Amino acid sequence: MKVFLGMSGGVDSAVSAHLLKEQGHEVVGVYMKNWSKNLPGMKCPWAEDLADAKRVAVKLGIDFRVFDFEQEYKQKVVDYMLAEYQKGNTPNPDIMCNQEIKFKLFAETAFEQGAEAIATGHYAKTDGKNLLMARDDNKDQTYFLYRISADIIPRTIFPVGDMIKPDVKALAEKLGYSVARKAESMGVCFVGEANMRDFLAEFVETQPGEIRELETNEKLGVHDGAIFYTLGQRHGLNLKAGLPYYVVKKDMAQNIVYVSRNLNSLSLWTDKIQLKDIIIRGDNDGQNLQARIRHRAPLVAASLNRETGELTFAEQQKSLTPGQSVVLYRDNICLGGGIIA
Amino acid sequence: MIYLDHAAATPLSDKALKAMTPYFSDKFFNPSAAYLPAVETRRDYEDAKDRIAHVIGAKGVDLVMTSGATESINLAFSVLAPNAEVLISAVEHASVFENAKRAANYKEIAVDANGRVKLEDLRAKLTPNTQFISICLVSSELGTIQPISDISRIIAEERERRAFAGEKTPLYFHCDASQGLGLLEVKVNRLGVDLLTLNAAKVYGPKGIGALYVGHNVKINPLTVGGGQEMGLRSGTENVAATIAFATAIEEAEKHISFERKRLINLKNRFVKELKDLPNIKFLGNPKFQLQSFLPICLPGLDAERLIFALEDRGVYLSTGAACAASKGIKSRTLSAIGLSDEEIAGSLRISMGKLNDEESIIEAARHIREVVAAEINRLAK
Repeated sequence: MKVFLGMSGGVDSAVSAHLLKEQGHEVVGVYMKNWSKNLPGMKCPWAEDLADAKRVAVKLGIDFRVFDFEQEYKQKVVDYMLAEYQKGNTPNPDIMCNQEIKFKLFAETAFEQGAEAIATGHYAKTDGKNLLMARDDNKDQTYFLYRISADIIPRTIFPVGDMIKPDVKALAEKLGYSVARKAESMGVCFVGEANMRDFLAEFVETQPGEIRELETNEKLGVHDGAIFYTLGQRHGLNLKAGLPYYVVKKDMAQNIVYVSRNLNSLSLWTDKIQLKDIIIRGDNDGQNLQARIRHRAPLVAASLNRETGELTFAEQQKSLTPGQSVVLYRDNICLGGGIIA
Repeated sequence: MIYLDHAAATPLSDKALKAMTPYFSDKFFNPSAAYLPAVETRRDYEDAKDRIAHVIGAKGVDLVMTSGATESINLAFSVLAPNAEVLISAVEHASVFENAKRAANYKEIAVDANGRVKLEDLRAKLTPNTQFISICLVSSELGTIQPISDISRIIAEERERRAFAGEKTPLYFHCDASQGLGLLEVKVNRLGVDLLTLNAAKVYGPKGIGALYVGHNVKINPLTVGGGQEMGLRSGTENVAATIAFATAIEEAEKHISFERKRLINLKNRFVKELKDLPNIKFLGNPKFQLQSFLPICLPGLDAERLIFALEDRGVYLSTGAACAASKGIKSRTLSAIGLSDEEIAGSLRISMGKLNDEESIIEAARHIREVVAAEINRLAK
């Protein structure tokens, strides 16, 4: 089969290329150039990543192409992300990237160029119809993939989905891939969580504002822009010592960040949330589900009201942040999920 | 390892390494300090500058030591007055090109199919307002040796014309001799240049040290100010160790210049013989005007970067065009300037030989290249 494999320059897609070739597929390695701009304190490694990916392709003697999606990535992922932050939400750009770029634009372009299937180095599996959790619990990436369309799943291969990460690395080492020991790339291209603040500061104009205690409405300090704060956040508030304060609420219109010392604050804990932009693959009554509220978080029993989009957890959950996703599973099937409203 | 990228970097010569080592330990002193051991270090430094300058027929005081060719080039461009008109060749290093772009008005002098500056185009573009001309001694992608003396003759004629006409516009000639030093005779008077950029890293000296020769008629403007070192033209504590190593390396290269040239010509001929039957291969440039160490080739229809990775896997290291441009995916200006098509540019490799090569390694490298090219052609045929 002619398979177009997204190659990021990392170890997972490198090993995927090897596996696909070994399975007898005609593999075309593709580097998606989504971002190339350096920002203060952030060097975009796209050229090195591209070279690393190509190096593996050459070693395997497979075709290699570059798809330039910079414009689309900016529009569909970065602009979405910035708009969400401006609304006070904490979006997950990787989920959007998978939905709009890797499993849509990349797939469409690949099929136009003669692909019969696409593949990526994600830790996930399919049974030809459903998206399934990876064998490696620790690496399972279905949280980031939950929004991919049902149509693409039968035409998608996840070659490392049945492997555990240490074995992937060991195989890369054995094959002599220089990327075997490369540090993991995560987050929006090179941004990652640690740099999100700098990234936002580059693109969004911000104003300093007040930090207030939720219970007393007392002004405790100043922040440099409510956009930078996430519900449940404890660090980086620069408030007087003592018990830690948590961000419990943001008023974007007034540019006020509310904090609390009370870990049991109702604003932090809840067992019901409203989801929006829900995607559920296949018929499902919404009952007896398991939910994951962030990547690698333990699964919790939950049920979804398919009419209203309200999700009820079996036990209370902390820091459910608007903009983040809740992903829904039944057994090992990733059914879909929604975005916290 | 078979290293075929001497135009990108050369290994530090043993002698140079040995010569520089004491200046990291016993002779670590700041050459500006007053006590005798520091003064001795200062003398060694100035002596090293004299030794470097001697190779190009100049004196130590005519040199401003820099961090390398890029800084030297930037310093050379510091002579430009606002609104200056600048001429550069179409095959310059990015540093010359980027500096020229900052000028109010710059033009590129066309080159022929071998990458040599067309003198008639220089004559056509040289106007009474031209203030600065920058042309490399050797193109870093093709190894083409430029007719520097012929160019400086044209420049001298224009200067004479201006003098007779009572025109006050100055005209400076800068030559970037990063490539070619150690294999060509580089004498400032014979070349007729006002400014000359030198770089240690391509003549078996260390990285991070270069020099700008500044003729007595030229007034450059320092880019770094401070303690007034280098006669106020480049402040900052002198890089004594690297300067000593530069001097040692360049003297060593100079001593063996004709031997090395002959050796490299033989290697190149052998290399050509080993590669000439590759399908559609083109040898770029004219050997008559090409540095002996260079063998740029073109394999239209193939992706040079794939070849580089395949060869890297076999321990053979070489580049596409200029190393700086390749990783950024920028199309080579030089190869466009000599009229290569996009397909030809994509299939171009730069082999540059040097001390690390002998005949055996060349035969071995050629075999690897043939095999890798055959595999690639085979893959594409499927």
